[in-house]
Formats: sequence, C-alpha cells, structure tokens
Amino acid sequence: MPGPLAGIRVFDLTMWMVGPWASMQLGAMGADVIHIEQPGVDWSTLGAGVPPTINGTSIGYITWNMNKRGLFLDLKSPEDRATALELLKTCDVFLINMRTGVAGRLGLDYETVAQINPGIVYCSVTGWGESGPMAERPGADVQMQYFSGFWSTNGAPGGEREVYRHFTQIDATTGNYAAQAILMALLARKRTGRGQRIEIAMLRAAAALQTARIAEYLATGEVAQPLGSAAFATAPDQAFLCEDQQYIGVSVTSEPEWHAFCAALERPELVDDPRFATNIERVSRRDELAALLTPLFAAKPQYYWMMRLNRAGVPCGYPLRIEQLKHHRQVTENDYLVDVETSAWGQVMTGGPPWRFSRTPARWSGTPAPGEHTGDILDELPQRRPTPAALPAGD
Amino acid sequence: MAGPLEGYRVVELAEGVSGPYTAMALGDAGADVIKIEPAAGDRARGWGPPRQGDDSAVFLSLNRNKRAISLDLATPDGVAIARRLLASADVAVVDAGRLPDPSLASEPASRLNPALVYCAISGYGGTGPWADWPAGELPAQLMAEATASLGRIGEPPVRAGTDMASMYAAIYAVQAICAALLARDDAGGQRIEVSLFGSLLAMRSTLWVALSNPDAWWGFHLDNYIKPPDHGYRCQDGAVYISFARMPRERLDALLADLKMEWVRDHPDFRLLAIDTAGGAGRYSHIVRPLWEQAFRAFPAEEVMAIVERHGGLAFPMHDYAALVNDPQARHLGIVQSIDQPGVGPMSVIAPPWQFSDTPAELRLPAPRLGEHGRAILAEVGFPADVADGYIRQGTVRA
Repeated sequence: MPGPLAGIRVFDLTMWMVGPWASMQLGAMGADVIHIEQPGVDWSTLGAGVPPTINGTSIGYITWNMNKRGLFLDLKSPEDRATALELLKTCDVFLINMRTGVAGRLGLDYETVAQINPGIVYCSVTGWGESGPMAERPGADVQMQYFSGFWSTNGAPGGEREVYRHFTQIDATTGNYAAQAILMALLARKRTGRGQRIEIAMLRAAAALQTARIAEYLATGEVAQPLGSAAFATAPDQAFLCEDQQYIGVSVTSEPEWHAFCAALERPELVDDPRFATNIERVSRRDELAALLTPLFAAKPQYYWMMRLNRAGVPCGYPLRIEQLKHHRQVTENDYLVDVETSAWGQVMTGGPPWRFSRTPARWSGTPAPGEHTGDILDELPQRRPTPAALPAGD
Repeated sequence: MAGPLEGYRVVELAEGVSGPYTAMALGDAGADVIKIEPAAGDRARGWGPPRQGDDSAVFLSLNRNKRAISLDLATPDGVAIARRLLASADVAVVDAGRLPDPSLASEPASRLNPALVYCAISGYGGTGPWADWPAGELPAQLMAEATASLGRIGEPPVRAGTDMASMYAAIYAVQAICAALLARDDAGGQRIEVSLFGSLLAMRSTLWVALSNPDAWWGFHLDNYIKPPDHGYRCQDGAVYISFARMPRERLDALLADLKMEWVRDHPDFRLLAIDTAGGAGRYSHIVRPLWEQAFRAFPAEEVMAIVERHGGLAFPMHDYAALVNDPQARHLGIVQSIDQPGVGPMSVIAPPWQFSDTPAELRLPAPRLGEHGRAILAEVGFPADVADGYIRQGTVRA
C-alpha cells in the first residue's frame, strides 16, 4: 500500500523552516510535494543559511525539504507564472509561508488560485498573524521562543529562567499544526466538495503548544517559578541523584503509581502519611517530599532504581546522549532515526516518520537538489510550457 | 458552518496530557468526542494545584469539546460498553501502555469495527526493548536527550516546562488520524502509532542532520548544548531579544554611542561583539552577551528595544505568560478566549491554533464532569433506559 496521502499533490511555495517542515510531513505520508525554488538560487542562502553547512548548503534546507520533488519556477516571469497556474490546476494543496502580501504580489492570492481550482486547500503561514500591530514584523523561531513565554517555565530551582537552546521547536510545531489543518481541510472537502483558506500564525501555534502551562497561569494569575527537573502539576515527578552520581527521573502521576512507588522504595508507611496523601498534597509539599526522598535515592545506584521502578510499573528514565541513542535498539527498531541518501549532500541522519501506519506506511526519503525534478514535473503537465527559465541552472 | 471534522466520532481511552490533547484537538475541529474514564477519573483531574473547581487547571485545559462517560473497566459489563463505543466510532485514541482490558486492543477492536482508525500513543514506540516500560513526560525528555538543551553541564537536569514530549506526540497523532481518515475509503481502518520518545526525536531532526557530516563545528544546532543557560538580554527592568542582520562600521559606532558603551572598544572581546550579530543564536553569544548587558542595565527594556531597532536591529520583548496574554498582538489574534466552565464560571483558555475560512474551529463544550454524559451516551449506542439504569445502579457506569 502507498502512504495515506497517495494522490494528493502539494504546491509548496515555502522557504526557511515552518512551511517546508509542514510539507515534508505531507510528503512522508505519500503526497507528491513539489517544492518551488527560484532558478539560479544561491545554494549557500538556502534554509536561511543556518549553520552548519554540508557541502556549503545549510543543514536547514537539507533537513526540511525531504520527501519532496524540486521545481524551478521564476514566478516573476509571465511564462513561469502560466506554468504555475497550469500546475495549480493539478494540485490539492497550496502552501506558502511568506510575509503577508507576497502571495498577492506574485498573483497567487487565494482568490486567484481558488478561481482556477475551487477545490484547493490554501494554507498561508505567517509569524505574527496576517493583521494586528506586529503583522509586518519578521518572525522566526528564536524570536517566537522569547516572545511566547516558551522559556518562562524552564530553569534551575530558585535560579533564572532560561531559553530552550534548540531553536527550531516553535518552527516545527507551527509546521506540524499547519499540516494538521491542511489534512483537516482535505477531510472537510470530502464532505463539502470545496477547498478553503487556512491561516496559521507561529504565535498562535506557540501558545497552543503551551496550552496547559498557560492555563495554570490563567487560573492563578501567578507566573510560575522554575522547578529544575520537577513537574508543575504532579509530585514526585523529578530527577534524583543516585549513589553512582548518575541521575534518575521518576514520574508519579496517579495515586496507584504513588502506592507502587512507596513500595518500590520500601517505604510503605509513606502511603499513609497524611502530608502526602494525594497528589495535591504532594505538589503543595514538593520540597518537603523531595528532601525526604533525596537520601533514599542517594543510597543505591541508577541501575538499581531503573530495575526496581520498572518492575513496580513506575515511570522512570535517565539522561542519554545522541551517541548512545543513534544505535540503540529502541531507536533503530522503531525507525526513529534513519539514514537517508540526498542527491547533493551524501547520506545524512534524521528523524524517521513519527507515525507508524499499519496499512498505509509512511516513508522518509532524501532531499532534492533545488529544481532537480523540473523536467519531469513539466513533462507531466497536460499542457507543457517549456521555458528557458525553467531549465535547471548550471551543468 | 461546523468544523472540518464534523460527522466523525472519536472515542478517547486515555489520560494525562497526550491522549486528551489529541482528542481535544479533534473535538476543537468539530468531531464528536466521547471520553471514557475509569471510575477514578482521568488522573489529571487530581493534578495541581492550581485547581479550578473540582479539577486541575491542566485537566480543564485539555478536555473541552468532549462528552464524558465513566466506566468500571474491571468488570465485563464495563468493557462491553467500551467495546460498543469503539464499534460506533471512526477514531479511537488510546494510551497503549495503560490498556485496561486486552479486548480493547487494536486487533479485537478492528475485528469489531474494520473501519476504525485506532491510534495507540505509547511512551517509547510499539516495538523494541523499552516498548513495555512505563513512560511519562520526564522519562521521555531525559531518554530522548531533550533535556540537553537546558541547564548547565555537570549540574542536575532541567526539564522543559512545557510538556513537549506529550504535546508533540499528540500533534503527530492528530496528523496521523486525519491522514488515516483520508485513506479510509481505499485502505479501510488501520492501527497507527505515535510515541512520546519518537516524537521528541523527530522534532529535533535538524540537530541530527547537523551532526551527520558538517563542514565545520559551530552554530546553535551543534554547540548550544555546551553553552551556559540563555536568559535573554537583561535590561534595567526585564529581558529582551536582540539581533542584527549585519553591522556596518558606522552603524555600530552610532549604536554604541546611543547605548553609552564606547568603553567596549577596549574590551578584549570587542572584535567578537562586532562580528557576532545573531543575538541568542550567535556563535559567540555566551561571550558577547555580558558586554551588551553591561550597557543595557542602564536602560529600561523599552528604550533598549527602541535603540536597537533605530539602528537596524530586531528587538522583541521577552514575555512571561502575564505579559504574553496582555500583549497587543496576542490580544488582537484572540489567543485567549473564554468558555463558561460549570463550577468555575467564565474561564480563560488558549484558542485552537488554526484559522479555517469555511469550517471554523469552535469552543462548543466545557470540560465535562466525571461521567456527566453517561446516560445520554448509553442511549445513543443503543442501551435501553432500564439497562442503563441497571448499569448505573450497580456502579458499572458512574453517572
């Protein structure tokens, strides 16, 4: 069986990360994603030139454009614009993540595209939304992490709050919400027979990702203070130092787990201790509880606790590094990291499909060179309009 | 016009964050979501403080747009009712690691309802040595090395305060469910799997490609984990984000003059400050940040942002949640909306992230009380009133 989106075609007018990340998901699910680049593009500027590079190209472009075909179109030339419109008649999805107004200037606003293809699901992604005082401002992951409060719940206890030092998480989250919305609109089209316009804003996505944490603020009006490895809503749910100076994270989130935890620690009397009788009590006395548990964990090594807590059914884990993960059976047997061949950058390691479908398997495949499939794609068009600008640059 | 998923029925057999957020997103998009809870209720009802009414703020925030039935799944009758619900559904959202009865697993459920899209959410994936390990947010963050991007090397681990693992898995689950529904005419129903651990790894793919065979070792994808914690750029009254696209000499001169920081020219790291203009994402951000901060401390954040922007840079406030929800842009977008939550009153919630022109997402239902819709749901799936009364009397259904 092909992937679940076999037969769906995506016109992918995207750049940097958010848009490409969204279409990459659709491609892995079997959609034919046609990624548009300007002919003659400088490869060193792809993916916003985000470091590091492989063979001079940003790893951003290489990561975010897997599972696609590459097409050169110069949308400012009348010939290529006509080709774009021909191609759009064959597409189900139009995806763009350029600043508000760019689609209109290119003559590819929703009204124009929907006129030639009323079934099109047209998704526009922006940073701050398409209107409002900040609509015209540039917005990327880094700014969004700072602005949306994504940093404000992280940090060592009693210390300063800190930013999550991997800038991509809000970009990818926004792209993932855009892919959701596109899939939902395709389902609605089965019912209504019509496409529609979708707007996705990074700021909305960043807030949605933090739904539960922001809800806690909205409930109390109090800004949370950082708790290190501890959870805000559950206890004990944090890391402890073990006898061998390694950490173990334990996560008790229900009353049966609390009972199992006390038994695993051979402290059954804690179950009857009124100070810790419910999660609400334990969260309210988080420090007192941690002070009581710290010497217990310090008396045995990490692996002891892993065995002991696993056997008791209490969630626990320990910090791992990528060197330990990349060949780990848990990772390889689930295809969570995969090696893929790319046309211009050799073999690279990346995340595999995050979903597993029993009947319509997803597949992860390499990144096209810009414009790599221009000839093939134009040949497939019912009315081919070959243009010099549309031919691949260079040799 | 109703939401894009109007007409689909979802049965949720899940607790905590990931499964409930998956089902809520489907409900926000218009699906009819039935939440099956054990007799004790979703564990998240007992989380917190903060509490709102009889429930936790977390629970209320992840369970709107659902109806609820509470079943004693330790009894054959309770399991039979759950199976009847699965038979009536298009989608099942299930915690793979907390299945109350084997007859609710994907294979028997699919035999019962071949068109069912059965989404199993697990901690570590459907196969492999950890497949049966009990899992949760912190274990997944640690095992997937997501905590490497926080804290200080050699010090205790720091978790991401947002439940990244659970939320990412939910976001991917919604994608997979919608894709499987699209494929259902051809493929029929199927089992789909996502995991907390696998989702975290997928979300950090840029890092894995960066680690594949880079031309050089630097940049935030590679070396940020060895840098000290990033708290923004502190000013007199709060922190800001700054960056510059490029810094020609004359622009730098004017900027330094306005910030009264000419002294920095004599600093041994001045050369790095002049070339590394990418702000928190910069190669030398950990070295040049203290220099900027020394100057910024003399100004309120508003003034620092104005000066930076005046000289061609980008500056944004570093909001906590109080500042975020009051920010004019956030207010303009309606990121915070209100829902009438019984027992609480008008309650502020975060809006769904998508804007559909024709099939808008809506806040239709507040989070349900435990078992609130039990009787109505039993009637819908064909149990006569006297049978339903019997189940309620004997405690199989809590209503």
